[in-house]
Amino acid sequence: MSSETMPSDIAIRCAGLGKAYQLYAKRTDRLKQVAFGGFRRFYQEYWVLRDIDLDVARGECVGIIGPNGAGKTTLLQLLCGITRPTCGELQVNGRIAPILALGSGFVGDMSGRDNVLIAGAILGLRRAEIAQRLPAIGEFAGIGPFLDQPVRLYSSGMRARLAFSICAHADADIMLVDEALAVGDAVFREKCLRFMEAFRRVGTLVVVSHEGDQIAALCDRVVWVDDGRIRAVGETADMLSLYRDATRQDEDDGSRFRFDSAAHAPPS
Amino acid sequence: MSEASLQQQIPTREAASVRGRSSRSVRHYDGAVWAPVTIGWRYRELILAVLRRQLADRFSGSLFGWGWAIAAPLITLAIYTVTFASALRLPIASARGGTMNYALSTFAGLIIFNLCAELCYRAPLLLHEHSSYIKTSIFPSETLAWTAVLRSLTYAGISLAVMLVFELAINWTLPVTVLLLPFLVIPMTLLLLGFVWCLSALGAFTRDIAYLMITIVPLLMFATPVFYRIADIPPTFRALEYLNPMAVEIDMARNILIDGVLPPLWLYAAFVGTALVVCRGGYAVFERYKGILVDVI
Repeated sequence: MSSETMPSDIAIRCAGLGKAYQLYAKRTDRLKQVAFGGFRRFYQEYWVLRDIDLDVARGECVGIIGPNGAGKTTLLQLLCGITRPTCGELQVNGRIAPILALGSGFVGDMSGRDNVLIAGAILGLRRAEIAQRLPAIGEFAGIGPFLDQPVRLYSSGMRARLAFSICAHADADIMLVDEALAVGDAVFREKCLRFMEAFRRVGTLVVVSHEGDQIAALCDRVVWVDDGRIRAVGETADMLSLYRDATRQDEDDGSRFRFDSAAHAPPS
Repeated sequence: MSEASLQQQIPTREAASVRGRSSRSVRHYDGAVWAPVTIGWRYRELILAVLRRQLADRFSGSLFGWGWAIAAPLITLAIYTVTFASALRLPIASARGGTMNYALSTFAGLIIFNLCAELCYRAPLLLHEHSSYIKTSIFPSETLAWTAVLRSLTYAGISLAVMLVFELAINWTLPVTVLLLPFLVIPMTLLLLGFVWCLSALGAFTRDIAYLMITIVPLLMFATPVFYRIADIPPTFRALEYLNPMAVEIDMARNILIDGVLPPLWLYAAFVGTALVVCRGGYAVFERYKGILVDVI
């Protein structure tokens, strides 16, 4: 057990981080696993991520690129503690605001305002703090009177706007952004980029994206994730051109989603 | 894979207080004995926010609002009183205080039974109900048990207030022992928390737990002294009742709310002990599966 404190200029440290999902053939196998897991294994392991070694310095902006199913989102989920790593070490230094699957965490029947109250509390804000920031959140989101309408009436763009706005006002030390701006329009995207640009001066940023331009504008460093491993890490421009060359050659045949591919087998 | 490499590092206090603030939203895996209570305190803002929302949800959508919360127990109580006053022959031990007191005693039993039953039905589905929070945000899922228990306690509290007003109306006095109620409510809360943690974790893996509850809870009603008192049953079976924490709670609640006597100390001590063990045990079960819950719901 290594419990030494990490240097205070490191925001995120991953060492040998890995995550395996348990794939069950039948739903009932899950219960069998809970009851008799000590004797037999009722699932197949699927390693989404493994051997992730990554240090993110405080104030750094790191981009993560890779094809669908490479493990980018799982990596973010591990970083913010939504799911627990199967192996490896993870240290996170500071308050996190994750912007994952934008706005899908909202409850449709609740008004935007009520969703903000809950989402703010999840991010660790006190009630008074949220109340104080509500006007600013509404203004940044720019959805006008819809703030008091049920979220189920929102378009996906409006949800994304509100979700981003909450996290932007959460006083986070670390922001994790998962392809957040894909649904926003150009004006809002510009606003978010400007915000992230400003946020970089005080906090740490991890951005997942398919869009090279977005990453190029923001990131100091880019991590290329493929088949659950880090394929390369380097300067933004170098990595983007490497990645583009590689993807041009690949055929989109879905072979990487196979359960039995060697890349996702349990480590020997 | 060594044991050491399996555990996730928790940020230390020094490391966590970046810019002078402790990092509250980073998940803690708290293994301390009193963890069930400390997580309730640590996430109090979130628990209250969700609770406030759920209570508003239940009542603000209706025209009558909170009136329903008071009307429902009032009607139940009225029907009991009329029925018992006119139609039924009462069990011996319960009949001692007269019909009105029997209605009260039944109502007290029902409040506690309904409290437990509601949680038994809800707990297995609790995580499914909030899956969008758990899957897409850094929502601490262990707080859901707190929210659910506090919500049910709120409803029970409303019914209890109606009951006490009714008791005051018929007897013109309340026993002093009513003031001891918090000493019953606190262990009861811990007991329920433990059950909800355990049931919700298991319920996340399989829907069978929810079906099982639907089957056994109505049966439990007969095994629980709602319409009778523990003293009404033959001594041979009485020992069995004491194994049912719901029965013990109901009996003790009647002692202090209606009879104005203290419950036997050994019974109370046993109840508190059970509550502590169940609470810590239920939390341990939940903690054990928490990391993979998000992958299965």
